[in-house]
Amino acid sequence: MYQFLLTARYLLSRLTPFLAVAAVALCVALVIVVVSVMSGFLNMVRSSGQTLMGDVIVSYPVRGIPWYGQFIDLLEANDDIHAATPVIDTWGLLRMPYPEGDSKENERVQIWGIEPIGFAKVTGFGEAVKWADIPPASLPHLVDDALAANGDAVLAALDGAARGRLLSATAADQVVDMSTAQIEHLAQSLEDGAWPLRIRMVATDGTDALEAALGAQAWAALIQADARLAGGGRAGQDGLTLQRDGRPAMVTGIHVSQANRRDSKGQTIIARDGYWWLPRFELTLTTLPIDARGGLLEPESIALPVANEFSSGVYLVDKTRVLLPLDMVQDLTHLDAAELVDPDDPTVLLGSDPARATMVLVRGVQGTTPDALRETVRELYMDFERAMAGSQSPPPILDLSPSLGIRTWEEQNASLIGPVEKERELMRTLFSIIYLVCGALIVAIFWAIVYEKTRDIGILRSIGAPRSGIVNIFLLYGLAVGVLGSTLGVGLGWLITSNINVIHDALGDPPAWPGWLLIVVGVALLVAGIAVSHRQQILPVLLGSFALLACAGAGVGLLLLRQAGGVVIWDPAVYLFDQAPNTVDWPAAWWTALGAVVVSVIAASIPAAHAADIDPVKALRYE
Amino acid sequence: MSERPLLEASGLARTFHLGRVAVPVLRDCSLQVEAGEWVSMLGASGSGKSTLLHLLGGLERPDAGEIRIADVDFGAAKSKVLDRVRVEKVGFVFQFYHLLPELNVLENAMLPSLMPFGAGAAVGRRRALELLDRFGLSHRLSHRPRALSGGERQRTALARALVNEPRILLADEPTGNLDAHTGEAILDVLSDLHASGLTMITVTHDPSIAERADRVLELADGQLRVPVGLHGVSTHNGKAS
Repeated sequence: MYQFLLTARYLLSRLTPFLAVAAVALCVALVIVVVSVMSGFLNMVRSSGQTLMGDVIVSYPVRGIPWYGQFIDLLEANDDIHAATPVIDTWGLLRMPYPEGDSKENERVQIWGIEPIGFAKVTGFGEAVKWADIPPASLPHLVDDALAANGDAVLAALDGAARGRLLSATAADQVVDMSTAQIEHLAQSLEDGAWPLRIRMVATDGTDALEAALGAQAWAALIQADARLAGGGRAGQDGLTLQRDGRPAMVTGIHVSQANRRDSKGQTIIARDGYWWLPRFELTLTTLPIDARGGLLEPESIALPVANEFSSGVYLVDKTRVLLPLDMVQDLTHLDAAELVDPDDPTVLLGSDPARATMVLVRGVQGTTPDALRETVRELYMDFERAMAGSQSPPPILDLSPSLGIRTWEEQNASLIGPVEKERELMRTLFSIIYLVCGALIVAIFWAIVYEKTRDIGILRSIGAPRSGIVNIFLLYGLAVGVLGSTLGVGLGWLITSNINVIHDALGDPPAWPGWLLIVVGVALLVAGIAVSHRQQILPVLLGSFALLACAGAGVGLLLLRQAGGVVIWDPAVYLFDQAPNTVDWPAAWWTALGAVVVSVIAASIPAAHAADIDPVKALRYE
Repeated sequence: MSERPLLEASGLARTFHLGRVAVPVLRDCSLQVEAGEWVSMLGASGSGKSTLLHLLGGLERPDAGEIRIADVDFGAAKSKVLDRVRVEKVGFVFQFYHLLPELNVLENAMLPSLMPFGAGAAVGRRRALELLDRFGLSHRLSHRPRALSGGERQRTALARALVNEPRILLADEPTGNLDAHTGEAILDVLSDLHASGLTMITVTHDPSIAERADRVLELADGQLRVPVGLHGVSTHNGKAS
């Protein structure tokens, strides 16, 4: 019992043990942050593969799988399969709407032709569509577009009251104390050309304000030009159906457009105050189809409106992929259904070639493992292969077609996942060495404590404390330091990991105030050091100087960093994802904490044994 | 058959080694103390008084000889036996009080009761409160040692030494670090304890302590002998008894 009493008192009455606690906490936090980020990165790679591609992928690039509809029917009839969907995967050039002028930029893109409803069943597409409605910053620009398209009808529908509302709404912060009569007079005096500007100004206050100001008729005329202005998730719906105003449309990855960037709060900022919102525009897509022999055919181009953008979180995908309706991509890549004619006599019809898909993505039912599902899909493919063997365009034979792959999402991404797994283990091993540092620190600190407590040890021995009791005091002390340090370390690790993107974004665009605050704190600490220094003591002044150097150094560093435009450590182009993983790997965290406690106790055992071996008589004489 | 003395030490020898030089401190030193007796040991500085006290209290082992307190022979006993002797049989009081600075007065006083074979927390607390009250420290229970005067610290140390109700109190220069007035007060406390039947051995070079003791012995040349001109002395085979 006395061991607990003394351990508690020793812990609370000295600063030294808190240095050990801080050392343990920092070590634990560091390991937790590193392992969590690496594990999170691995999990993101894994889960993104599953989210973007389903559980199992059947792929046959370039030529594509014919009769994929029958194959999908066969798959979906199986109890282990939730859904399957065809995809065509190809590459192309997308002509962007920027910059101003005729000379536009082109982006190289990966084109996926999809059937949106089936695709959403197999992948996380439903959750990935970025815009439910028009972003507020882009609303005035879309109002401009709508007025350009249907402005006459809108102006014709503007009655006097609506004009008064538009004027009072826009004049409120410009004209003080205007009477109703004055507003009406002003409304009558304005030419038609001035009203679109007034409407646009009201649009900056949002859809509701605009609808209220325009009145029912003018509002109806406006949304006739662009139904998305009415809100209600129309833009999101367009994205999910790959349509805009009843026309086929494309959905692009959020980073395909150079005009999109993420701010420090994780929000997507669209350049030029929302002007370059991609779903405003119609873009031209060009592909280079390849014939059955691998030769290049004539380039195919198509102009399509953008229905929406998607954000999968995987930077490479969001940077390059555009989604189009499957039939359009089949046309572009010449994988659509076609008549087969005699090469010697094109007037002789030999039959028809079915439409093809270069991939079939398969999602298993809940509880099915990807490996088991792959085997099921494999068997079903062989059934499909046998069933279609007699057709004019039989599907590729599994055993004879090396490029036909039936893989789980993990196997599909093996080249990516493998190195990440290795990297995580390497980091875990390297950072585990930090335990040695932690242990060495505890030995050093506890040795100093034993040295300081030598006389106490003699006193305790003189009143009957056995050697084991002395050992236990310091082991308990080590345990307390380990538990306290690990607990704080887990908390700190959680805090840093959870906010790693905020911290990273702050480093990318550091505010000035923390820098100045650190400088002020440093100066204050130096002044305090000088103030408490009695009789020309050196230590307080020295500590104050160190504090000034550390704080002011950090502050100046931050200000210089700000001057240099910040630092980007997590480069999405390198790490695939636009955000660093920010979820703590709790099993790893608890094992790390437990390891730190064990290391603390083991490290404390050395000074503890030394303390027990101290001759009590010599200890009592110790000054 | 007469009762055995409470403490019997015979043929005690202790030599310290300073590098290659052997310094014999105690040589064939013997002592008997009856229950309830107060023996005071005088001696020049470095004569080995404190060493003898440490041997009698089981803080260190003699190179040769036997020690027995209340029928427990522990001269060459294992460490665990010595630990138990220090808890149950003896109470130590030191010149420099040796209180634990992190504990308050009450906690310091009851600390021995928390040791293995001690009286236990509940009994120890009760006894510590009684002793501290008896020594006029009941208003200082929650104070740390640094807030106490020298006399108060020594009284706290006395309470600590007595909390397990030891058979014998071993006091090493109990007034050596106190002014004359405070030293007298501590001696009064010791006299009271003795009057209530406590067996005590005090080591001192202060004649005023020696005057209060039942018997005075002098340690010289590594052996106990009867000093010239002091009272209460009997010899047995040329050794103090």
